[in-house]
Amino acid sequence: MVRAGSSPGGRQPGSVSLWLIPPAVTALCAVLAVIGVPDGARAPAAWCGAVATLAVGLASAEVVRRGRVIATLRQRHAGQEAALRQRLVEQETETVRLADDLLPAAVERLQRGATVEEVLAAVGYQPGIDPQFRTAHQAVLRSVMEAVRAEEDLRDSAQRAFVNIARRVQAIVHQQGQDLREMEDRHGNTPEVFGDLLHLDHGTALIGRLADSIAVLGGSRPGRQWQQNVPLFNVARGAMSRILDYQRVDLHSVAEVAIVGPAVEPLIHALAELLDNATRYSPPQTRVHLTAVEVQSGVALEIEDAGVGLTEEARRRAERVLAQASAGIDLNDLGETPRLGLAVVGRLSQAHDFQVSLRPSAYGGVRSVLIVPQDLITATPTPGGTVAKGATLPPAKPRKRPAPMPLARQNGSPLSMDASGPVTRGSNGLPQRRRRNSGVAPVPGTAPSPTASVAPPRPPAAAEQVKPGLWLAAFQSGVNGEKPITGATRPHTEEALDRDE
Amino acid sequence: MSGAEEEGWDEGAPERLYVVTGGRSRAGTESVRLDLVTLIVSRDVPQPGMPPEQTALLRMCHYPLSVAEISAYLVLPVSTVAVLLTDLLADGRMEARAPIPAAALPDAELLKAVMHGLQNL
Repeated sequence: MVRAGSSPGGRQPGSVSLWLIPPAVTALCAVLAVIGVPDGARAPAAWCGAVATLAVGLASAEVVRRGRVIATLRQRHAGQEAALRQRLVEQETETVRLADDLLPAAVERLQRGATVEEVLAAVGYQPGIDPQFRTAHQAVLRSVMEAVRAEEDLRDSAQRAFVNIARRVQAIVHQQGQDLREMEDRHGNTPEVFGDLLHLDHGTALIGRLADSIAVLGGSRPGRQWQQNVPLFNVARGAMSRILDYQRVDLHSVAEVAIVGPAVEPLIHALAELLDNATRYSPPQTRVHLTAVEVQSGVALEIEDAGVGLTEEARRRAERVLAQASAGIDLNDLGETPRLGLAVVGRLSQAHDFQVSLRPSAYGGVRSVLIVPQDLITATPTPGGTVAKGATLPPAKPRKRPAPMPLARQNGSPLSMDASGPVTRGSNGLPQRRRRNSGVAPVPGTAPSPTASVAPPRPPAAAEQVKPGLWLAAFQSGVNGEKPITGATRPHTEEALDRDE
Repeated sequence: MSGAEEEGWDEGAPERLYVVTGGRSRAGTESVRLDLVTLIVSRDVPQPGMPPEQTALLRMCHYPLSVAEISAYLVLPVSTVAVLLTDLLADGRMEARAPIPAAALPDAELLKAVMHGLQNL
């Protein structure tokens, strides 16, 4: 190419001088002929020679001219070819770039929520690209974008539909859970009903977990949101209460920390899924151990089972499922993915910076460790949860009586003794009867020795309330005296108080 | 304070009752039949590592309390409390004191009559 462009220019002066030779030779020959011929023929020979020389000179001039034209043409052609070749190379590069860089980047941006126009505007082209070519490229890009967008929209709407359904199920399950809790309180006194209620409660919790999983896979947060920090112990037990085989889970030492509100539900759910995996893939007679210890980077929750171990390959696959979760899983796979739980755990971990790892356990099973980062942990005044806190010696007065007591009045008679007979009827005249107890109390009984020592803490509690002071005094003497009266009296005094309020 | 706690338990506790008792809804048969009015006294101090409910029971029962009272203070149903108590009783950490037999109590009708009599005074 380069040679083609440069050679004509270089050869031109040579060629011009070269083409001077034929006329010169002709002229020389003509001169020689004129000299050689006899005198009579000299003039015609000279004419002939002159004409021949002229003709050859003209021909040579023409040849030179044409040669120049050809050279120019050749040069132009070479230039054109080079330009075309250059363009071809550029277009090729651009197309490769489109396929390799632009398209994936654009699709990614699109998936992150940018609009088609935004993406197209952001695409930069090399300068000097043929506008037509660029338009065509943009058209290709646009149609691909639009196809991708349509696909994304379809998936989004499918996911939204899933989440929507899951939310509705969650709402019902939540309501059901609250109702069940109320029923449990109400029927806490009849073990048969209570047992059935617990059974129902458990089943409902399992449905709730499934709904939560679907919501998480649909790209949403799991069900409830907690306003307050929840102690880790309660979180762990919350997770246990959402799996089928919770009885097989041994809850060992739990770090005395609390989890901040927003992270509670995700953690419960992730733990529940891990526990579910652990119990599901281990023999039914084995135990699953759950411990929570504080580590440098936060709190490590360890779940260890004695089930079928993970082969290295299976472990790697499981960790890949955990890692890929953020990329979003196809809802079509939902029914086919056997270890759906891991995908859920992966999602939750990604969203809340939990670190999850699966390792072979010393028991031969799997040891999964979930590390909760430091910033999701806070100190707790009540490591054991509300129950432990509520039981700091007899509290002053529970504000409202949950259901058990009214029920105790209804069918308390089979359970408790005859004393409940007067209790039922006496409910209209309670204040009087309570005061009477102080008179009844002195009936000699076996005054328990610890009573005397522990009795003093009571008065301060009583002093806080003006009214209770009366019945607490009666209560004390009642406790010193006969026990059944105490038992029967105390609840009623509280009932009376509630009524007073 | 107790109000907030009750709400805390009702609204805020993530665990369900069956987990608290390990799925048991009734006390074991071999143990003492627990009544609403059975008095419970702890015979031991809470050990570290015990579930919070048991710790709470041991702590609050330094002073004899009836099952009904315990249930009310812990805001747990009676059956749940009974199961927890049964465990502690079986371990000898607690002691149940049976109420005096019904026969020793005056007749309900008599009590009622006395009450009315006094009211009429």
